Amino acid sequence: MNWKDNVISRALKGAGFTFVLLLEAIGHSTQLWHRRRAIFTQMHVIGTQSIPIASFFMLLIGMVFALQVGIEFARFGQTNLVGLVIVAAMVRELGPWMTGFVLIARVGSSMAAEIGTMRVAEEIDALEVMSINPASFVVMPRIVAYSIMGPVLTVVGTLVGIIGGGIVSNLQLGVTWADYLRFAEDGAEALDIYWGLLKSFVFSIAAASVACASGMKTEGGAVGVGRASRNTVVLSLTLVVFFNYLLTSFYRIVKMFVSGVI
Amino acid sequence: MSGSPKLAVQFDGVSKLLAGRQILDKLSFDVRQGETFVIIGYSGTGKSVTLRHMVGLMPPDEGSIRVENEEITTMSRRELEIMRRKFGVLFQSGALIAWLSLFENVELPLVEHTKMSRKKRAEIVQQKLEIVNLWQDREKYPAEISGGMKKRAGLARALALDPGIVLYDEPTSGLDPVIANEIDKLINRLKREHNMTQIVVTHDMDSAFEIGDRIGMFYKGSMIQIGTPEEIQTSTVPEVQHFITGGREGALSRRATTAIIRGVAPGMLSQRSLEAIKAEAPVATAEPGYVLLSEEEAEAAGVAPAEEPDFPTERDLAPEETEGPVETATQKPEPESLEPEESDT
Ligand SMILES: Nc1ncnc2c1ncn2[C@@H]1O[C@H](COP(=O)(O)OP(=O)(O)O)[C@@H](O)[C@H]1O
Ligand SMILES: [Mg+2]
Repeated sequence: MNWKDNVISRALKGAGFTFVLLLEAIGHSTQLWHRRRAIFTQMHVIGTQSIPIASFFMLLIGMVFALQVGIEFARFGQTNLVGLVIVAAMVRELGPWMTGFVLIARVGSSMAAEIGTMRVAEEIDALEVMSINPASFVVMPRIVAYSIMGPVLTVVGTLVGIIGGGIVSNLQLGVTWADYLRFAEDGAEALDIYWGLLKSFVFSIAAASVACASGMKTEGGAVGVGRASRNTVVLSLTLVVFFNYLLTSFYRIVKMFVSGVI
Repeated sequence: MSGSPKLAVQFDGVSKLLAGRQILDKLSFDVRQGETFVIIGYSGTGKSVTLRHMVGLMPPDEGSIRVENEEITTMSRRELEIMRRKFGVLFQSGALIAWLSLFENVELPLVEHTKMSRKKRAEIVQQKLEIVNLWQDREKYPAEISGGMKKRAGLARALALDPGIVLYDEPTSGLDPVIANEIDKLINRLKREHNMTQIVVTHDMDSAFEIGDRIGMFYKGSMIQIGTPEEIQTSTVPEVQHFITGGREGALSRRATTAIIRGVAPGMLSQRSLEAIKAEAPVATAEPGYVLLSEEEAEAAGVAPAEEPDFPTERDLAPEETEGPVETATQKPEPESLEPEESDT
């Protein structure tokens, strides 16, 4: 009972802190221009530098996915259709959250550690004493950069994944590129693409806020920094799969509405 | 200084409970405008916490804190931001922003709070970095420099906006004696030339006596004695005595070898008197008037370790002649004051 109260109240407090920090950061987006240098630096660290690893992941996922789909479709003699399934899955699901995962592993954890180190090294205090709001100086550029580069990386990752699927389809399943691409086109419509980007945007904001909040809340020296980093990964992954479910549910309703089913 | 001097900071009955411990316990003291107020006390007892209260980084559980006669405990965040511009703060580790060069770190407050041109900012940064002797290192990043340099850069940044009150959290700890001495001189110069109010937390008693107009001994959550350096040196309060003599020796003696300088009382060890040590006492002799040096200090001074007693004996400690370089060498410590009563980590 007591244990539950503690866990729940701590979780709520943490969520509240994170949410307030996010709102504060959004409030400081008036300083976007003033902080452009920090934002660009972060965009580079979060986005550009993540392209190789994200591409590698997505390429192999696309390839494996094509193989598995190919096995099943061969049973119905429909191997030509793999492109459709791959694109649908990549655009709607795999692209957004696999790049989300890659970013959390590569960026979220180190972002929490970096800010946590600033906290324990009194740098955050120093900023406050200099009347420089850390929500503006540290948090806002990171959340902005993350939420821009998350969707960008999703686009890149999705494309690479589709290419990976195409390569396997062509070399191992015997599907021509023409067929692959022809059916691929049917795999995603504009709504799907927007929805995939929306997902990625939501994941990015969630992951960046969690990373910044855990960093800001760090206490207890190097151990605390490690803890902040670990908590960030666990919590962000949880949020991504959770939000993903919500957004897919929404998507289903919107899709049915658009296609006149309801 | 006659009559009632203007007060820069006033603590009145300030209490703070942290993690179940009463870190501040009805703490009261005043800092006068233009003075250098030194806070001494054992590690981990709440001196940094006191400084944090002064700039509103931590709210007290009870009590009143006034800065230039304004109550800060009830201020809004916005009001606090304005109030903090009166302060420059040197944090214990320098607290430089890791991704900015030293130049950019010192420039930061100017960029954030002034509309100065780039050129004007560069002039000020140069001036501040030259004060702390780091202009030639301006392109370096915090990760590339030593702890002492970080502290000096932190000081340059604290001074960037010419604050009226400067807080120093252990400005000389971890610095080599020459640089520590320079920081002391700088603190004195800032007082002399800019009439700055300065509040310095330190363990370094030489430094405390060198720079302090008044010294307050922080113990168990409050100030057990506040007085001029002379008053503190001749204090009869046992805890103060223990700290400025035995406490210091106790802390050093665990890893100390003995070295000697004539006429200087224990605890008055000056890191600055290395030259004097070399000149006067190249070898640890059995002469009275021992002072404790840490191994590094002894090595730096080229003094051969003596027979390495854990503590100097009574006889070793008794100053025979007191005409030495430090005029305060009058005190004969109680032997029991050498035992640290409380471990200070
Ligand atoms: N934010 C905090 N939460 C809990 N305990 C704290 C906090 N800040 C400091 N303390 C505790 O208060 C005590 C005094 O710390 P501090 O003021 O840093 O000591 P010092 O006198 O060495 O500067 C320490 O035991 C420290 O663990
Ligand atoms: Mg401290």
